[in-house]
Amino acid sequence: MTRITQGMAPSEVLAILRQADGYYITNTTRDMSQSDYKNRILLHTDLLAAPAREAAGYFSLEITGGASVHVDILRKQVDPFLKLELLREKMPDTMFQTLCRGVNLFGYRPYPQNVIRLTVREFAKYVDVWRTFDFMNHVPNMQAVFEEVAKAGKINEPCICFSTGPEHTNEYYIGKVREILDVTGDEIILCIKNHGGLGTPRRIGELVNAIKQAYPDLVIHYHGHNTDGNDIGRITAAIENGATIVDASDHAFTGFYGPPPILTVIQTMKDLGKTAIGIDEEAVIATSDAIRDQRPHYAQFEAQIKGFLPTVQIHKLPGGAMGSSLEQASKGGFLDRMPDILHKELPRVQVELGNWWSVTPGSQILWTTAVSNVLEGDRYGNPSGDLKNLLLGKYGPFPFYRPEDWIYEKVFGSDWEKILEEEGGIMEIEDMDIEKERRTLTERLGSEPTEQQLVLYLQHPNDAVDFFKFEEQFGRAYVLPPSIFLRQGGFQLGETLVFRDDTGQEHIVEIGPAQQTDDGETNVYLNVDHDQQLFVFEPEQQEGCATVAQLSKEEIAKLARQGDIRAPFAGNLYGISVEVGQEVNEGDQLVVLEAMKMQTPVISEVSGTVSEIHAKVGQALQPGDRILTIEIPEE
Amino acid sequence: MKTKILVANRGEIAIRIIRAIQELNYDAVAIYETPDRDSRHIRIANEAVWIGDGPRCDYLDIDKVIDAALRSGAVAIHPGYGFLAENPRFARACEDAGLIFIGPSSVTIEQLGNKVTARRIMAEAGIPMVPGTGNLSPGDAGLQEAIAFGREHGYPIMLKATSGGGGRGIRRIESEDELAEQYPIARSEAKAAFNDDSVYLEKVVVRPKHVEVQIIADRKGNTVHLGTRDCSIQRRNQKLIEIAPAFHLSPEQSEAICQTAVRAAKAANYFNAGTVEFLLDADGSFYFMEINTRLQVEHTVTEMITGIDIVRTQIKLAMGKDLLFRQEDVMPRGHAIEMRINAEDPRNDFMPEGGKTITVYRSPGGYGVRLDGFCYQGFTIPEVYDSLLVKLTVFGWSWHETVDRLRRCLTNFVITGPKTTIPFYMNLINDPDFQAGEFDTSFLDTHDHLFEYEEQVSEVTKLARLIAEIHYRGQNTYAA
Repeated sequence: MTRITQGMAPSEVLAILRQADGYYITNTTRDMSQSDYKNRILLHTDLLAAPAREAAGYFSLEITGGASVHVDILRKQVDPFLKLELLREKMPDTMFQTLCRGVNLFGYRPYPQNVIRLTVREFAKYVDVWRTFDFMNHVPNMQAVFEEVAKAGKINEPCICFSTGPEHTNEYYIGKVREILDVTGDEIILCIKNHGGLGTPRRIGELVNAIKQAYPDLVIHYHGHNTDGNDIGRITAAIENGATIVDASDHAFTGFYGPPPILTVIQTMKDLGKTAIGIDEEAVIATSDAIRDQRPHYAQFEAQIKGFLPTVQIHKLPGGAMGSSLEQASKGGFLDRMPDILHKELPRVQVELGNWWSVTPGSQILWTTAVSNVLEGDRYGNPSGDLKNLLLGKYGPFPFYRPEDWIYEKVFGSDWEKILEEEGGIMEIEDMDIEKERRTLTERLGSEPTEQQLVLYLQHPNDAVDFFKFEEQFGRAYVLPPSIFLRQGGFQLGETLVFRDDTGQEHIVEIGPAQQTDDGETNVYLNVDHDQQLFVFEPEQQEGCATVAQLSKEEIAKLARQGDIRAPFAGNLYGISVEVGQEVNEGDQLVVLEAMKMQTPVISEVSGTVSEIHAKVGQALQPGDRILTIEIPEE
Repeated sequence: MKTKILVANRGEIAIRIIRAIQELNYDAVAIYETPDRDSRHIRIANEAVWIGDGPRCDYLDIDKVIDAALRSGAVAIHPGYGFLAENPRFARACEDAGLIFIGPSSVTIEQLGNKVTARRIMAEAGIPMVPGTGNLSPGDAGLQEAIAFGREHGYPIMLKATSGGGGRGIRRIESEDELAEQYPIARSEAKAAFNDDSVYLEKVVVRPKHVEVQIIADRKGNTVHLGTRDCSIQRRNQKLIEIAPAFHLSPEQSEAICQTAVRAAKAANYFNAGTVEFLLDADGSFYFMEINTRLQVEHTVTEMITGIDIVRTQIKLAMGKDLLFRQEDVMPRGHAIEMRINAEDPRNDFMPEGGKTITVYRSPGGYGVRLDGFCYQGFTIPEVYDSLLVKLTVFGWSWHETVDRLRRCLTNFVITGPKTTIPFYMNLINDPDFQAGEFDTSFLDTHDHLFEYEEQVSEVTKLARLIAEIHYRGQNTYAA
């Protein structure tokens, strides 16, 4: 009945787990934040919860990984490494856990091997348990991470992603476990990753039992989501059949698509005679009491549709994608099409594309394809670059069957067989010239970056630089509570805001009047530590005034054939593949656009010389916005 | 009706003078050009006269200033520094209009303003001079004289425009070849800049200290000195930091320099306050440079260590009083340092930051701290005048106490909007050479690292900026 603490050797941890008379709990607050709050739970709230969470005695706290590394810098304006450092100060004994997407790390597409290894090395300084998965359950995609985690002396927790359907048999999954153990050896924890909360309690019980029969010494960690409201049932079945660790989180913040409440797990299992090892129930309750009053400030990030969605068993979207897909539907004005998309098209696309696992980045490919199929009406008529890569097998081999020929023909055209033969196969990514990237970053920052800054930059170049510049301009804003950082509709005149800066010094800011001047500027007065300060805001640029009237798809396509390359759809310019003066041929990649986390290359339909580049990397483009011009030599 | 005195200046020095006038129970009349309409000196004065749209040309317009004085009924004019302060024609115009000019006579200003005449007067009085020539002859003869001078005294030498000043019209010559090349250029440039192509030569004292003596004299010829100042820390011959006394001098050296300054003033029949500037060579010998016939920017440090209000004394002397103190009454004690806090970017070659609005102005206070400024929160710095915002002068018993106090003041001095010299000074006072008092006029050139610093925006100001933005936009777009 030993509590497991940070600093124990992996072998010691595994020995304790194998002898456990009872079960352990992981607090997956990262997954709760991602699934129910669009990843926005701030470090400020996690720091408030830290003392009680430390006292609660969890196996681990999942506090980083998944999309959180990206959202930390993009939307929370906090350094993901500093976050771990500050939490570690308050939580010396609790192991920190991450969710790593294997070759895709914390992003949406494969990284070069040397970037993966460098990233894992830097994060492993703070992270004790590495939960690693691949959305195709393709074990080689996880190997580099396994190796670096082992080298760093941390705990490997490889996943088998779980789903349902005729192909998803116990035999299949046991085979996957074997494949993993062949690579990692026995000193691991195995995670059953049920990111959608799929299957019944009985199905999960059977699977755990089957794996335990095949590998009695293997420690199983069950991870689920409560989308259908029944994860407590699956957890119960998992523990009763031999799982040693299960996932849940703090009831003050539990929602619909993330983890179920820890306290419910404890109460349910107690009645079944199972003890939560190391757990201080009072501290579990105290954690929720400490953070409950913060929840209203996050209301804007909770899902557009409230309530459990038992239809997840049909559409299979993972918890982490539920909030973002509902948000897209709401913003895109197609909430009314959701029943069609979720209950008809998505299951159809899943089966058509191979019935593999709907989890990042596969879930985004399935979702984007289904949305496009329904909204455009032309099924597979607007394939994303990532769908093409998937069909070409660049992410890995299809686990069960290949999609039918007609889909290939629709996506690649009549010579699809030739394309598949020439370009098919797993993506070979060359190592990156890291020193060159370091020099580029040095130039962009104006000073030598730290190793951690470099790691963030290698994963999200533009967003990382934006974050570094944000900190330069606005300081360490993670000190602000959600009541300030996430405030909607401005503050009240005379409202007093009190907070401590990163050195612990307390400040008081009183909101003064805001006035518009004749020039259209707005003067905002604040009393900062009893001194009045004025902040001037220039009038907003009228968006779109510089661009031409909205062009139709046909017009954009026509201009492209004249060498005037426009954005074919709304997205961010992710990369520019050509330079001014460069000769390009028909079929050459010009730029890459990114929308809804999916990258789509823009291919030249003409041959000529790039004469001008109008757009900048990172720029948000509307359909019809100029990207670049190709001069076509006259015949 | 109270007696009125017009202040023919702007900025911090106008306020400094207005305060003295008002303390003497007179009324102060300010003048201003249009770009200065928001300047604080207008509000502090008892009345203000608009003299034109400027910029600068109206402050320099003798007729307009005299007219403003006559119209407002002022009996005297204090010129401050810069603008018309050392223009003998202005002093004469005052005299002709029956106005009291608070400063020396127009004759003295004229004689001492012409470097060649000044050198002649000083040479006759036996004041030590840097070896130099009179105006060189026109044409090739002048070049031959120059070459002969170079051969006698060695290089480097300075080739100076007779009508130049304030660091302008000076070039340093390292060799005879360079002399032959530069000589005609210097002449034609002097002609273009000052409408006078006269030039002369001076031997260069390598890495000298700049030491000056404050003198003050009444009409009866009672002339006293108020001790020394070290103004060695300069950029391109413009002073940045001034220290009183020049504490590295031995008591004997200090006494010798001060007595020489008094003799120089007497030789020029000097009246009112003035400053005698010397170059101090590494071997301890010193040479006369010039007499500034006006109030100096850095007079505050002398006031701090002597307790004598120089501006008040100037006015009283000009209004006909005699000096109320003798040399033996002047007892300097302690140390004072003045830093000119300018709206400039030292890292960008001290580029002026005019046109920017001061969004936060939080100044230090407490024991031994004096501020002479004119700007305020919300003030937009006019682009057309100099960049001096405020002079921070601190007093301390010992040198180290004074530096400690200065550090505390700079740490608590917050000016946001324009870049200022504050972070640069912060770097400078932490320099071991500065702390040890080891500096000469080459200090900035030999201490490049002083320019390596980050603009200091306080963390809370950065966070407040974000809060203001969240407030303004109705949401945090960096979290959306």
